[in-house]
Amino acid sequence: MTTTQTVNQQTQGNLSDHLTLGHNISTSGPDLATKEFKQASGGNVSDVTFVEYEVLLPGVSGTSVEKNITLDRGTRIELSCRLDNKYSHLKSLQVTWKRGNETVKHINKTETSWSIQLRILDNSKLGSYSCTLKGEEEISAVFNLQVPKIEGKEKPIVSYEGDTAVMICKSFGYTPIAWTWYMTNGSEQIAINDTLLANKYVINRISANVTHLKILKLTNEDNGVYWCEAAFDLGKSKGKLKLKVLSLMVPLKPSLAIVAEVVILVTIIFLYEMYSKKKEKGSEAEKEFDQIEQLKSEESNGLENSSARHRKI
Amino acid sequence: MPPPTPTGRAPGPPDGGWGWAVVFGAFISIGFAYAFPKGLAIFFKEIQDFFGTSYSEIAWVSSIMLATTYGAGPISSILVNRYGSRPVVIFGGLLCGIGMVSAAFCTSILQLYICVGFITGFGLALNLQPSVIIIGKYFLKRRPIANGLAMAGSPVMLCTLAPLNQFLFDNFGWRGSFLILGAILLNCCVAGALFRPIGPATVSVKTQMTEEGKGALKEEVTEDAMEMSSPTDVPMENKTEEEGGKDCCEKINQYLDFSLFKHRGFLIYLIGNVLMFLGFFAPIVFLAPYAKHIGIDEYSAAFLLSILAIVDMIARPTTGIIANSKWVRPRIQYFFSFSIAFNGTCHLLCPLASGYTGLVVYSIFFGLAFGMVCAMLFETLMDLVGAARFTSAVGLVTIAECCTILLGPPIGGTLIDTFGDYKYMFIKCGAVMVLAGTFLFIMNYYNYRMLAKEEKERKVKGDPKEDPVRTENEGKNNWNKETAQDGPELEPLREEREGLKKEVNGTNEV
Repeated sequence: MTTTQTVNQQTQGNLSDHLTLGHNISTSGPDLATKEFKQASGGNVSDVTFVEYEVLLPGVSGTSVEKNITLDRGTRIELSCRLDNKYSHLKSLQVTWKRGNETVKHINKTETSWSIQLRILDNSKLGSYSCTLKGEEEISAVFNLQVPKIEGKEKPIVSYEGDTAVMICKSFGYTPIAWTWYMTNGSEQIAINDTLLANKYVINRISANVTHLKILKLTNEDNGVYWCEAAFDLGKSKGKLKLKVLSLMVPLKPSLAIVAEVVILVTIIFLYEMYSKKKEKGSEAEKEFDQIEQLKSEESNGLENSSARHRKI
Repeated sequence: MPPPTPTGRAPGPPDGGWGWAVVFGAFISIGFAYAFPKGLAIFFKEIQDFFGTSYSEIAWVSSIMLATTYGAGPISSILVNRYGSRPVVIFGGLLCGIGMVSAAFCTSILQLYICVGFITGFGLALNLQPSVIIIGKYFLKRRPIANGLAMAGSPVMLCTLAPLNQFLFDNFGWRGSFLILGAILLNCCVAGALFRPIGPATVSVKTQMTEEGKGALKEEVTEDAMEMSSPTDVPMENKTEEEGGKDCCEKINQYLDFSLFKHRGFLIYLIGNVLMFLGFFAPIVFLAPYAKHIGIDEYSAAFLLSILAIVDMIARPTTGIIANSKWVRPRIQYFFSFSIAFNGTCHLLCPLASGYTGLVVYSIFFGLAFGMVCAMLFETLMDLVGAARFTSAVGLVTIAECCTILLGPPIGGTLIDTFGDYKYMFIKCGAVMVLAGTFLFIMNYYNYRMLAKEEKERKVKGDPKEDPVRTENEGKNNWNKETAQDGPELEPLREEREGLKKEVNGTNEV
């Protein structure tokens, strides 16, 4: 296995960061390939890359090997299934490449690997391609070719009537050509036209990979599911967002309940304090009363004693 | 002649009874003050998206809140000196509530800065200081326990607020959550209602002098001796005894005791703590990002903080109990320095922790050390300056700490960004704290020796000199009248003082 990279790559500018292995694959010649692409894309020399993906079979025992490949633009792709050296003793292996029920012909074979080459130029070519090695056992691998996924938000965005809601969709790693927003009306998806309803919807493309939908002056009807759709060369991808519009009464009720609780507690505490102060004053007054009585009795005793002495003398 | 009535002598701090209700109130108040700014972080992402600002602009909300809570310390102290703890806390609770409710209707990030940052921050400042102060008024023998229990409010509140905030946010969005949080903050008023005003601090000063080791006693007496010449400089809890013709400085000193800057213990505490706070909070802020950096998933990283909070929760009251024991209480400053140094060592050893288990062990020890330091943070200050001057002391200390607290995490962040490695941040924090701990240890050793020396000198000069000073310190009460009386009259009182001392040393109730 050589590690030189052939110059069959028609990329302009940077290579995409797809996984490339140093497989020396010969094709029918660069010029022919370019011509074919030119025809396919109507004369524009698009930025076509060539990438290779390889899986090693049989992989981890018990699990089927699956590889997800994300493509956002036209690509020439080679998928290969290679047999591990440990199993190279297995002869008479029948290998089939399939996409769904369709069998792919033109398999390139080497001693231990089987590969197919595909030109993915539009949505119809995407899907799941599987290679099956039939011998004593059946080993298979699946390549899932798909457009980049868009993440929406799992949890609903909560907002209030009269307020503004901001919904954000991001694409990770791949730049879409265009973004479109849809709102769901019953079972239909209606595109949101922000030029038509400029005082209600504002769509901003903050950066290449991020889009904002701002909904102004929310009402109860704005409740529901929204979709952000990213358009790529090879297809479209959607992200789902939920919007919940509440009236101000909803948080107000718990707030008022808590305020009521606070007022009640404070009142109880102050009342208890006044009550215990009264008790203290009461007991103090009693003590003083006792002491005064004591003093009075002592005085009267003293007087009696002095008068007794007086009399004695 | 009738025997002197018991009401002639004011009783010492209750050390129990209603004091425990006060501890509960302080628990709530302190909990909100410390945990609330941290709990708000959950809302920041959504607010950032809503207003379309950058993360640093949102982070300012938290910083302003923290800065106001610490920076408004002196104002809080002045208000407590003037009005007492209860009205201040109730007002603070109202302010917090108003701040958050108005934040719910904000339409710009600037308004958020004002409502959440300044108003709520100021309200929390008015909650924090008085809560700590009133514990000093209600407790003396059991003060470390009371402090430890009250400070435990912070981790408990944090553990409650974090999931609560998440729940509120999921159901009500950030505006509704702020509205409800405003109502929840009104519970600080309930805490304030519990802060029943107790007799003047003069009371606690008297018993304190019989109680706290000879060192603190003589230290206070020296300070008061210096203030004998200008009696109006003596800080008084209730300043009904205002004489006319005071100039500006004396008036300020009445509200906020700047003469504390001449107090040796206070200066030691101030320098040590200001240094410590440089490295105190940064590790908490960066623990979760560090965990994610070395490959741990988000939930496990968040769990580390939960472990920290739970260990913290247990460590604080436990430290309070240990600090109250008869072996530790007289030398509590050493215990404090030790816990700071222990904290620092944890940080220094953190980079050696490998993998999730290592970080869990680090979190446990960090939680323990963090709890120990926090539980004794105010206790040691009370021990050094005494309950009477604690009001002003805490205000001055918090505003000084404010700067370093705010600087700590950004410096750590800069270190991380420059070197691309978290270990330098941990080393910096650990080194700073070990340095602070060692500094405090050495300086307190020196302080204790100086205090012992001064006590000896006082004994050599003879006892009677003490009493007029003591009575001067008490401000207005019956004792003033008794200065005119001669020695023998004071004999029974001195005996009682000795008796109290023996009682305190003998009964180390925990």
